[in-house]
Amino acid sequence: MNNPAHKAFSLQAKTILVTGASSGLGRQIAITCAQRGARLVITGRDAVRLQETYDQLAGTGHVQVAADLTIAEDRDRLTQVATNIDGLVLCFGGQMLSPIRQLKEDLMTAMYRTHFLAPVMLTQRLLQAGSIAKQGSIVYMLSTSAHIGTRGVGPYSAMKSGLLGIIRCLAIELAPRKVRVNGISPSVVPTPQLWGKDDEHNEPLNKERARHPLGLGTPQDVANGAVYLLADASRWVTGTSLVMDGGAVL
Amino acid sequence: MSAQDPFSLTGKRILVTGASSGIGRQIAISCAQMGAQIIVSGRNVERLAATLAELDGAGHTQIAADLSHQEDIDRLAVEAGVVDGVAHVAGISKLAPFRLISRAQLDEQFSSNVFAPILLTKGLLAKKRIAQGGSILFVSALASHVGPLATGVYSASKAALLGAMRTLALEVVKQGIRANCIAPGYVRTPMLEGLNQGGGSIDEHAKLTPLGLGEPEDVAYAAVFYLSDASRWITRNYFIVDGGLTVPMDIYA
Repeated sequence: MNNPAHKAFSLQAKTILVTGASSGLGRQIAITCAQRGARLVITGRDAVRLQETYDQLAGTGHVQVAADLTIAEDRDRLTQVATNIDGLVLCFGGQMLSPIRQLKEDLMTAMYRTHFLAPVMLTQRLLQAGSIAKQGSIVYMLSTSAHIGTRGVGPYSAMKSGLLGIIRCLAIELAPRKVRVNGISPSVVPTPQLWGKDDEHNEPLNKERARHPLGLGTPQDVANGAVYLLADASRWVTGTSLVMDGGAVL
Repeated sequence: MSAQDPFSLTGKRILVTGASSGIGRQIAISCAQMGAQIIVSGRNVERLAATLAELDGAGHTQIAADLSHQEDIDRLAVEAGVVDGVAHVAGISKLAPFRLISRAQLDEQFSSNVFAPILLTKGLLAKKRIAQGGSILFVSALASHVGPLATGVYSASKAALLGAMRTLALEVVKQGIRANCIAPGYVRTPMLEGLNQGGGSIDEHAKLTPLGLGEPEDVAYAAVFYLSDASRWITRNYFIVDGGLTVPMDIYA
């Protein structure tokens, strides 16, 4: 099967850098991209869990770099390894809830460093080093909270909305090189890291499930969205975010 | 990997309206390349046959129908058989400044762009012709949000699909059926060429597109994604495929 449509959805001969690849969505995206033929550069903070992801990558030639991307030196170190990138997927874990009235400066600063500063400055570093190939694709992992208001989610929501601003402006800046920039905005995907065990006692999760007509998503669903945005199939899609939410209604 | 490939359309039957040219034709071609069995529909028998001849694989069929006639909608809903996907692409576009809009123009464009996809979907659902896990895709247009000059009727008709899709998606979710819209920007099609001949600001908008004019394939691949199981968690969604045209505009304002 080597017709134009199959080629458009293949990741053969592409190098894809995935951050936050040591668990959850980032891990599944790395695994799925490798299955579709990509060479992966994966990064995450936890070296042991990153190795677990690495061991699950199909094919050869993949690279892993344990790094804390909130630190400039770690971003530099990653940039030295990550050259000629066709696809960049920026995933960052860690939700922190706080009603605005009780918001602590520490929490807000931590959210900013992890969910905004790190992905934006890594992008900057890679662009400055000329590491993003022509016709490449940059994908920021957002959340439906970039688009909607939810009680207590203010700090996270603000950072994800902030990335929408980056996506739009960067899409314009990189269009002459045919590099496209998009987000993925999933609603609730019950990864154990973020949501704990998914059983009948997990009340928040079951409440969320009830308002999603198609039920909750899986990391594989989000990874499929990432594949579309990384493959040549989406070469004319830029400056937007793919909302994946099982038809959620409030 | 095609056996478990979530992007594959192998084993799926997909009905494509407006398949005799432009985006509809390309959706039929690309879906066939991904393994689907296609039912192409359109008004022009010869051009429909030409599309059919370009489809990879076997078992495709053509059903000529003029969806501005209820009898043709009813017949298509019967003859199509059970389908796993529907791509509503058929549509027309005619420019007229607001002060020259006539009831006849409204009737004509709403009949093709709104009534036909809604009534065809209704017909297919009433006859249980959309399989469990099926995907219904409406091809809207960015005109719905942008509103270029002299597109009052066309923009209104394409915007109407958004509301219809949202409520449809809620109603069919129990059967595991999904409904979504994609909104293309300016794509190299016979429709766009037609608009250019009629004047208007289309050339200007094409120049404004950061990634340049789109090709029918660009919309067709988005359709493949929405019709395949790769998008199984996406419903009630409105997805913009426009080469960045609307990035510098606040289209929700």
